[in-house]
Amino acid sequence: MKKNLKIYNTVFTESFCIKDDQLLDLKYQDIIEWDSIGHMGLMNALEEAFNIEMEIDDIIDFSSYKKGKDIVAKYNISFSE
Amino acid sequence: MNNKKVKGLSFDIPKIKKHQQNRYPLLFVDKVYDVIPGESAKGIKCFSYNEWFFPAHFEDEPSVPGFVQIETLVQTFIMTFLTIDEHKGKKTNFVSIDNVKFRRMIVPGEQLIIHAKLESFRRGIAKGSAESFVDGQPACRADFVITLPDVLNAFKPKNK
Repeated sequence: MKKNLKIYNTVFTESFCIKDDQLLDLKYQDIIEWDSIGHMGLMNALEEAFNIEMEIDDIIDFSSYKKGKDIVAKYNISFSE
Repeated sequence: MNNKKVKGLSFDIPKIKKHQQNRYPLLFVDKVYDVIPGESAKGIKCFSYNEWFFPAHFEDEPSVPGFVQIETLVQTFIMTFLTIDEHKGKKTNFVSIDNVKFRRMIVPGEQLIIHAKLESFRRGIAKGSAESFVDGQPACRADFVITLPDVLNAFKPKNK
């Protein structure tokens, strides 16, 4: 698996104590762990993992695993390497 | 007269009530002092036998219940960020309490001194710790994660 994708997935699985096969269709509030507090924990973990600082609008738009990848990619994080 | 140099802001009960929403019978700090907003705070709580819980905890050996000790810590801790103007008077919620240690019993007539430190405060989530002392002896300590729901809600995803 690509390095950054592995990091992205690991942040999700460790933040929410879930498995890789749950990630693809995962959306905000699909699981009890991804509530408003879990969302802030996820944002903090992603910022630490990729050494980025996300804009408020991006944090609000970050509503699913898939959408989050596009948002993180805006911070020069490539998921193809 | 205590000649100790006082730094930071000081809050008596009326001022504490303007900055946090805890009220009798669940307001467990009498004075908050040496407050540096966004960094640290100290608190004082004096326990008289007139406290409502002493007759029940326990009748033959009154001592301060653990949850009250935790509240003295956290009510001092939240003053580290509720003294920032934009957060004054906001409600707070617990996310987690970790590494709690109770070192000694606290009995009627004793005064608790609390030292609280804010380690990070970002997007409505505060992380930090507090410890308390009686006559310089460690009494209780804990690490806290606390939220300001009003602030947190501003960052919630709008669409699924």
